[in-house]
Formats: sequence, C-alpha cells, structure tokens
Amino acid sequence: MQKFSKEWILVGVFVVLFILMAVLSPSRFLSLDNLQSMAFQLPELGIISLAMMVVIVTGGINLSITSSAALCGIMTAFVLSKLNASGASIFITILAAILVAILTSQICGAINGLVVAYIGVSPILVTLGTMTLFEGISLNFTKGGAISGFPEQYYWFGNGTILAIPVPMIIFVVVIIATLILLERTPWGMSVYMVGCNPTATMFSGINIKKVLMKVYLYSAFLGSIAAIIMTSRYNSAKVDYGSSYLLQSVAAAVLGGTDIAGGYGKVMGTVIAVAVLQVLSSGLNILGLNRYIVDIIMGAILIVVLAINFLNSKGFKFKIKKAA
Amino acid sequence: MKRFVKSKEMGILLIIIVISIIISIGNSTFLRPDNIIDMLKGNTVLGIMAMGMLLVIITGGIDVSVGAMVAAVTVLVGKFMVNFSGNVLLAFIVGCLCGTIMGAINGIFIAKLKIPPIVVTLGTMSIINGLMLYYTNGTWINDIPESFINFGKLTLFKIPNGQGGMIGVPIQILFLVIAALVTWVILKYTLIGRGIYAMGGNPVSAARIGYNLDKISIFLYSYMGFVTGLAAVVHTSIMRQVDPNAFTGFELQVVAAVVLGGANILGGAGTVLGTLLGVLLLAIMNNGLILMHIPVFWQKIVVGAVIIIAVSIDVIQRKHAEKNLTKVDIE
Repeated sequence: MQKFSKEWILVGVFVVLFILMAVLSPSRFLSLDNLQSMAFQLPELGIISLAMMVVIVTGGINLSITSSAALCGIMTAFVLSKLNASGASIFITILAAILVAILTSQICGAINGLVVAYIGVSPILVTLGTMTLFEGISLNFTKGGAISGFPEQYYWFGNGTILAIPVPMIIFVVVIIATLILLERTPWGMSVYMVGCNPTATMFSGINIKKVLMKVYLYSAFLGSIAAIIMTSRYNSAKVDYGSSYLLQSVAAAVLGGTDIAGGYGKVMGTVIAVAVLQVLSSGLNILGLNRYIVDIIMGAILIVVLAINFLNSKGFKFKIKKAA
Repeated sequence: MKRFVKSKEMGILLIIIVISIIISIGNSTFLRPDNIIDMLKGNTVLGIMAMGMLLVIITGGIDVSVGAMVAAVTVLVGKFMVNFSGNVLLAFIVGCLCGTIMGAINGIFIAKLKIPPIVVTLGTMSIINGLMLYYTNGTWINDIPESFINFGKLTLFKIPNGQGGMIGVPIQILFLVIAALVTWVILKYTLIGRGIYAMGGNPVSAARIGYNLDKISIFLYSYMGFVTGLAAVVHTSIMRQVDPNAFTGFELQVVAAVVLGGANILGGAGTVLGTLLGVLLLAIMNNGLILMHIPVFWQKIVVGAVIIIAVSIDVIQRKHAEKNLTKVDIE
C-alpha cells in the first residue's frame, strides 16, 4: 500500500496547493512581491520548526524554544541598543550582539539539557518550566515593553536581499544544510535517531545518551537564537511575545513533516516542506481575502487530516508485513 | 498514616506549608480568611479543569485544547444566556453539553485514528480557537442576565473573617468540590478508573486483560470536555462577562498544576488529592508573590523555577527509590 513516503505525499500537497493558489489568484499570488514576502516570513517558523524537530526526534519536545529565542532576541537587542548608543563601531556592536545571542541560547539549552539528560525529568515538564522561567527573565529585562534603537546595518539580517533573494532565506538554507548534515550524515545524528527509537538499547550499545541529549537541546536552542536574530532584525525591536505564536505551529510543522511525535523518525526535508506548505496556505488564503481565523481553522484541520492519512497509509503497510510473514 | 507521610502528596504539602510560612511572615494578610477565600475562588476554574486533565495525564495523554475549549464554551454559554434564557440550570446544561461534545471529538480522533493526543488536541485547539474568534471577532459579551449574575454572588455558608465580621464561602467552590469528588470516585471505585490507571501503566497489558482502550480514551477526553464546560460556566459566574481571549496559554497552567501535584506525565500515576495540592501550590505562589510585593516580572521566574525544581526532586526521589528495590527481570 505504501507506495510513497510521507515526504513525497507532502511534496504533492505542496505542489497542489501552490498551483491551486496560483490558479485562484494568479496576478497576486505569483507576483514577485508576494513570493518575496513569503520568503521573508518563512525562515523564522522554518528555523524554529527545525529546532523543535531535532528535539522531537529524540522523543522529547521543546516547549521553551520560542521563549528562549525571545530571550536571546532581547539580550541581543539590549547589547545592540546599549553599544549603539555608546558609539562603538558597527562591526563590533553587531558581532557582540550575535555572540551574546548565541551565548544566551547555549545557557538556555544547557539548563534544558542538564535537567532532561542528567536528572532525567521528562522533556515536556522541563521545557514547560523553563518556558515560564525564560519568559520571566525576558519580562524582567524589558518590563513588558519593546527594546529598539538598533544600528541601521543590523536591519540587513532580516530585511536585506542578495540578488533579490532575501537574506533570511539564505540563512535558512544554510541552517537546513547544516541540520541535514548533522542529523543525517554524522555519528551524532545517527545516535539522535537511536535515542528516539530506544534509549535503553542505545545506552547498552555504548552510546552516552546523556551527551547526545545535551547536544540536542544545545543545538535546538542555538537554532532558536538564529531565528531570534532574524526576528529582532525584521521587526527592528525585541519584545517578550515575539514569536510566541510559533510554538505550537512549529510542533505542527514538525509533525506534519512526518516527524514521529514518539521519537525515532523525522526528516529535515519533511519539516522544511511542511513549513513551506503552511506558508503557502496562510499567504494564499490571506490573498484570497479569507479571515485569518478561518486560516487557523484550516491549519488545524490539515494537521489532523494529514495525520489521519498517514495513519491509514501505515495501517495498510503493517497489514502487508503480516501477510508476508 | 505512615503511608501518607511517605507519599508524594506529603512532599507537596510540605512545600506548600514552607511557602505559606514564608509568605505569611512577609505579609500577615495572606492567612486572613478573606484572602484565602478569594484565592480559592480565583482558582476554582483551574482546579476543576485539572481534574479532567488528571485523568488524561494518568493515561499518558495530554490535552492542549482545553484553553480553547473553555474559552469557546464561555462564549457559547454567554451567547446562549444573552439570546435565549438566563436560567442558571440551562446554562450549566448547555455548557457541559458543549464541552462534552468537543471533548468527545478529541477522544474519537485519538482512539479511532490513533493519532497522538498532543497532535490531535493541537489541531482541535487551532480549529476551536479559530471558530470562536471568527464568531466573536474577539469582542466581549457584557450583558449577562441578572439571574445568572445573582447566582454567581451566592454563598454557601458564612465563616468569621478574623476581623469581627463574617464572610461567605462562594458557591463556585462547591463545584470544585463536586468535580474533585466525582473524579475521585471514578478513579477509585469504577472499572473505568482502574482501566485508566492500567492504560497509563502499560496499554498493551491493559488491552490484553480486556480493557477496551478506545472506550476509555473516548470516555476520558469527553470527561475532560465535560469538566471544561463546567469550569467555563463557573468562570462566567465569577467574571460576569465573557472575554474570548481570557484563556490564552491556560492549557499549560492546567498541565503544570496536575504535574506539580505528582502525576506522572508518562502515565500510570496521579491522585486527586495530589492534583488539588498542585493547584493550591500554584495558587499560593501567584497570590503570595503579589502579597510579598514582588514585582509582577519576577512571578514567572519563580513559578518556572518551582516547576523545574519540584519535578526534578520528584524524579531524583523516584530514582533513589528504584535503587532500593530488588529487581527481578523475567524475559
């Protein structure tokens, strides 16, 4: 029964949706403006979804990803505005800001990783706690307001283009390739999938699963910081709730992309295509003039329908195995 | 008695007592009856919903759509009362019915299509939220009928408020008590309650013993919907108006309360008493931090830190206990 892998079904969905939108509204959906604006919007959710997916592959979930990203954004903004005001050179200012973002993300990731891997608390609880914790720290920094006043050059990360290709998109592609190589071409990536399949067996096969998990949470938080840099640059400010709506969307994207929520399976490209599907859908429906709440409804319905199809598909597959045996 | 002293609930109770002592040293109004009653009243909604979430989490599932569900039911009940009838009983029937139907939909998807609970409820959350916001456009419902508002002001009995006067115990607390009792009876005395624990412990074994897991799933997500509906009506009776956006992110608070109460998120363990203590712990922290004049910005940090520390201690204790067990593996 299972002629197509989950990823190919998704590619089909993407193509059909793209053509559908293009036919329904050719002048606006296919316009350079719209394509470019989609390319500007997509990377944020895309990078956060990859960050989420890496953790889901290990059988966990990272509910703190958006709040740690927001915290990174706020620290970055803090450094940027302070250094900018003090008149330091642009290069040093931006470099310092990026370093601070990455450093913050690694601290956040290390807290998650320590509690999940070394104490052994289930990820959903840890990240539920750290989500609240990071949000609290961010609130303490901003007192609920937004931080702005960045140097103009910083604007480039979120809004610039190279040969008409948006810079965020280029960053996203780099992230995709890096994640692809890390997860699917390195021993560490292999062990990530193994931990997701069966942690006990992985441990007995001589892999230090604590280290593997720790690195997963560090990497996840790192991707969060990249998304944070793009976000702060795109909005030219930083605030506690920037990106908070991406939290459940990123879980949805990862799962839609075929990642098994119980761990052990998940392809980088699946997640990326799922994000693209979500983006085409939301932009397209927006252009068609649909109420954004209806877009929410459709997103939810698609999530359930695609998983139902996956289920029916895999049921057929299991049936075949039984017969063969 | 000895068993209770060693139980998880005791640990939570100890944390609650310690925090209470610290807060009451900082601000003596904390232990005043009127503050305690206000605090309880403000958290009945959380408590009632935690009862449903407890069952879901015992089976190893999770329901992240409860925030959207409770908001949707408040809107439906509010519209119903404004347009049709201010009858209190009818409001409860409509609320519980709507909630149960939404929960049953979750249950059917989870049981029949075998989609993981977190994914199904993520989807229904998005759908319910979208439908509700499309319907209301985010506007509040203010003209709740007088009869229902009067019902919300009812009190059960009066207790001295510690300053010579009397203060009434609000009726909303009664619903929390009822929800807790019903949940306790389900878990303790019914076959389906045994099934819930069995399913959380090991679904395969539970199915082999003869439990119908599909039925249990549908029942428990419907029950989750039912208590959510109840909570929605209670919420409306407290607030006397409906804000469609009042419950954004509420689902995670409900989960946090249940988990702080010692329920195992992987399934198989959890008690009504523990969950009530978990709700109380969250309530005390939120209330106490305000009374201690700690800036609002610090509250989340404290709550987050307490969640992490509490669950870490729990896991460390469990690991310690496992070490002392003699293990016999039969394969």
